[in-house]
Amino acid sequence: MIPTIEASPAEIYDIELEHSLLEANAELARKNQQLLDRHGITSIDIMGAIGSGKTTLISKLAKKLSNRLGLAVLNGDATTADDVSIIADAGAQVIQLATVNGCHLDANLVGKALKRLDLEKVNLILIENIGNLICPAEFPLGSRSRIVVVSVTEGPYMVKKHPHMFLGADIVVINKLDLAEAMGVKVENLASDVHKLKPDIRVIPTSCKTGAGIDDVIAAVAPQNPRLHA
Amino acid sequence: MQFVSEKQPSEVRAVRLAVGELTCVQHEQLRFCYQSLVGQTEIKGSALEIETVPAEVSCSHCQYEGAPRYWDEALAVELVPTLQCPQCGKAAEAVRGHECAIRSIQYVS
Repeated sequence: MIPTIEASPAEIYDIELEHSLLEANAELARKNQQLLDRHGITSIDIMGAIGSGKTTLISKLAKKLSNRLGLAVLNGDATTADDVSIIADAGAQVIQLATVNGCHLDANLVGKALKRLDLEKVNLILIENIGNLICPAEFPLGSRSRIVVVSVTEGPYMVKKHPHMFLGADIVVINKLDLAEAMGVKVENLASDVHKLKPDIRVIPTSCKTGAGIDDVIAAVAPQNPRLHA
Repeated sequence: MQFVSEKQPSEVRAVRLAVGELTCVQHEQLRFCYQSLVGQTEIKGSALEIETVPAEVSCSHCQYEGAPRYWDEALAVELVPTLQCPQCGKAAEAVRGHECAIRSIQYVS
């Protein structure tokens, strides 16, 4: 028989720690936010599933905005050279964040990217998160607000299936409006699902193809910045 | 591991976590990851105990504080907590449920 030494109750200790496992990221996110606040920069974290239209939306915003204000784009999602050149040609500073196989951006990567930007020339930073409707919800980046892009081609149940993503968002963009009829998806049902989760959230239907709703997104991302509406 | 190198316990019995209802942490997967990771370390054999921290919301419109409204018909297998005030239906704020922390460690000195 193998001898077993059992500790007497007096030798068993419980140490209280309350050590948050996500605190390292949260702390870096706060530092990013402070840095951006010091420079008066608005930053937006753009999240959404693969193929929902995050990159296209950013390209449309870049085209309309970059002649009016200093725009920078941090691309976390795999972005083609074509996409990057559209955004860069529009005059935005672009930095690619290579996560290789990572499923979300974190505040550390964003912090490193911010060091490489000329912040004096920037008023608005759009951060394109990795195409994923789960993991990014847990990792704040230090942005002022968070947009979730969901498109009608993802089907009628995307909101119900990914509630946490929407609970943490400030604005929801329902994209590919032009395909809603063909898909048999009702935009108002998606919007009503979002409002069941979070009644005060702003929902903006868009079509990056026809340009519908893009101006509403512009008005929502930085309503306090008069230069955006010049 | 920081705890083990500082305290040098003869055995770590259990690591107790507090995981909020509003996080995306799946308990069974977390237990599997934990056992896979600690197998080669000094805390091999320790148990991972996960306590669920229930969500709580606070409403600035009607001053309600407590459990959130659940969207019960959304998913087939689980209730979905929402940020809609159960009392007045307006927007409430989550005040509890986002935790993911090591609450305590049980060890033998």
